[in-house]
Amino acid sequence: MTPIILRRLATSVLILLAVSVLVFVATLLLPGDPAQAILGQQATPERLAALREQMNLNDPVWQRYLMWLGGLLTGDLGVSAASGGPVSALLGERIGASLVLLLAAGIISIPVGLLVGTYSALRRGRAGDHIATGTSLVLAALPEFVIGIALVTLFSTTVFTLLPSVTMAPPGEPVWNYPLQLILPTLTLVLVVTPYIIRMMRATMLEVLESGYVEMARLKGVPERQVILKHALPHALSPVAQVVAIQLAWMAGGVVVVEFLFRYPGIGQALVDAVTNRDVQVVQVLALLIAAVYIVVNLLADVVGIVTNPKLRTGGAR
Amino acid sequence: MGLALGLGGFLTACGAGPAAVLSAPGGAPQRGGRLRVGLAGGGAADSLDAHSSVSTTDIARVINLYEPLLYRDENYDLQPLLAAQVTASDDARVWTVDLRRDVLFHDGRPVTGKDVAASFARITNPDDPKSGAAALAILDEVAVVDDYRVEFRLNSPSATFDDSLGQYTLGIVPADYDPARPVGTGPFKYRSFAPGRNSVFVRNDRYWREAEPYLDELEILNFSDDDALINALLSTQVDAIGQIPLTLLEVIDADPRISILNAETGAWMPFTMRVDRPPFDDNRVRQAFRLVVDREQMIEQVLSGNGSLGNDMYSPFDPGYPKHLPQREQDIARAKELLAAAGYPDGLTVELVTAPIQSGAVEAAQVFAQQAAAAGITVKIRQVDTTTFFGDGYLQWDFAQDFYYTRNYLPQVNASTLPTSPFNETHWDHPEFTALVKKATATLDEEERNALIAKAMQIEYEEGGYIIWGHANQADAYQQYVAGLVPSRTGLALSGFEFRRVWLGVAS
Repeated sequence: MTPIILRRLATSVLILLAVSVLVFVATLLLPGDPAQAILGQQATPERLAALREQMNLNDPVWQRYLMWLGGLLTGDLGVSAASGGPVSALLGERIGASLVLLLAAGIISIPVGLLVGTYSALRRGRAGDHIATGTSLVLAALPEFVIGIALVTLFSTTVFTLLPSVTMAPPGEPVWNYPLQLILPTLTLVLVVTPYIIRMMRATMLEVLESGYVEMARLKGVPERQVILKHALPHALSPVAQVVAIQLAWMAGGVVVVEFLFRYPGIGQALVDAVTNRDVQVVQVLALLIAAVYIVVNLLADVVGIVTNPKLRTGGAR
Repeated sequence: MGLALGLGGFLTACGAGPAAVLSAPGGAPQRGGRLRVGLAGGGAADSLDAHSSVSTTDIARVINLYEPLLYRDENYDLQPLLAAQVTASDDARVWTVDLRRDVLFHDGRPVTGKDVAASFARITNPDDPKSGAAALAILDEVAVVDDYRVEFRLNSPSATFDDSLGQYTLGIVPADYDPARPVGTGPFKYRSFAPGRNSVFVRNDRYWREAEPYLDELEILNFSDDDALINALLSTQVDAIGQIPLTLLEVIDADPRISILNAETGAWMPFTMRVDRPPFDDNRVRQAFRLVVDREQMIEQVLSGNGSLGNDMYSPFDPGYPKHLPQREQDIARAKELLAAAGYPDGLTVELVTAPIQSGAVEAAQVFAQQAAAAGITVKIRQVDTTTFFGDGYLQWDFAQDFYYTRNYLPQVNASTLPTSPFNETHWDHPEFTALVKKATATLDEEERNALIAKAMQIEYEEGGYIIWGHANQADAYQQYVAGLVPSRTGLALSGFEFRRVWLGVAS
């Protein structure tokens, strides 16, 4: 089991390196440089020249890349072109804030998705199943922006004014000090992600429930509760774990839109800002981070697969 | 705070409905409270530097922290601020400024001539010029006469140099100024600052104006999205927001809790035609392009009716603005004639470079393309992002757009329509025009100067490279309990960001 995971880990590092080169090249392809992006309409040749000198933009591209990579390996994330301060200081708090949002959304949507999906499968064709599948179908079709706007209209601006519509936690204070402000962004992510988990869980459960061993267990007179918990559920988990992983990974990127809408001080806002400012250092760190999340959650999904699937478990020892 | 806010909202929701809506406060200003202002724009590059503001949020902060010698008030009149008196020599080459004697910096030191000289030295530092430097090319030296008097010595005469001194980019800072310790003379003092997020300022108890400011605290919050900005206002998480999209004005105004500040400005968002390159090097083509514009429709569709008509001339508040020139109107037949005469009997195709450089810019490009089609002009719209727009191609596009806030004529000409101007996007170089401007710049007599300005404007009206179809209003929104905001012609949001006058009718 361990060698498989180690091999996957090595591949992941290579992928991350490739991502860093890709992102670096992509940011270079964007027209304009950080000095122009920052000064905008105020860019006179004199001010541009002065700023470019201050930002080391006159060094060759490969040198800037190697310097950045070298710094990364020694734990130095570099200096943000836009703020002039270290990237780690700029992003530390934001990464934490985004993680809080992702974790909160994950903690709610995974169990809810699994429960509703299972429930739906068990009540196949009945009213409860129709409501659950219908609702999740509609929600799955809506972009996160629409869901977010609808929630804000409903709960904070027009219909009821119960919840804050944007995050206003003062900088330096953790976002969870203001739990009310977390509700709507979390709920938006939950509503976007859960439908997929429900649908996958329902489909997998149905397949498992129709399989030979469940039938066998039932025929042997095992109580229904035990049939589901001991025989059906573990077999359904492996494929569902893949979907959950993809959804969690999606959230790491999709959180950008949600953070934008709720003025949430996470990496999403920082990323949009950094692209606008052509702040290569920050864009790279964030792109690598999102890539790392993808890789890690997929790795976790595989581990779940290996653990729950006896065939793979023994295969790993080859 | 979050809890308190949520609870407040809850009470409003469960309260007596419309009766819970507060009426606008009247009477004498009350002291105290914190004003939370939401503004779109800014980011990690935000700064508190007195002299290098770039984004709207930068400008809002700078205006409340620092003060220049003069400033433009809400009527766009030039008023003394840190200067008690400004006088020009007969040849308009030396400007003497007497300072107010009752002004203290935030740290308690008095403002002296030495600080003024040091501030201007910092702005015009050739190795690191700041925002205001471009307009100060004619400044030779700032001589300190005594503690409260300085002389601005110019290398060429300028009858309107006092206008240059009234820019917010020229705040006076102490001689030992360090942007990491933002000390100025403004109504508010620095407390905290997080680039791209928010900044908090507190009342300057040493402020020289009687009683002002009324607020205890001022918080300026960045928003990267208009939806989030408006939602924050509607959920009472901020008290005032600057520059709302004009298309949403009516919707927001319908909310009884919200007041709107709708101010006429001299801001302009021209189409820019390069007069040195075909097809626009032929004045008949430029004339034709100006004649295809239905200006009223443009204001209706792009600004939702919130703007004033443009007549291809900028600086509508300048005392020299020629109001007698006929308003240019759409005339497709005449435009076709002109195009045929210029060698395009079957019309022509041009590329228009646009970007969301200002609310309405891209929409204006689209409306223009539709209107121009009637005269056989095919406009290919090339939309780029703002950074690309202001990148290498900026000031080089053959046909594009730009955006300027309110300015008087001569300073605007200096910025954009002389061969030496830093932002001459039309590549306008007209000897007769330049001579007129030069003469006007050196003429101290106001009436005479205005006549010269009117002549120069007329040349641009007849031959210029700008299509100026309108002047957009500046619309802001705020909660009913906020008092002291007045419409400002400057084009800067929320009373030109002069929060010293603002007070809160109820404790928030």
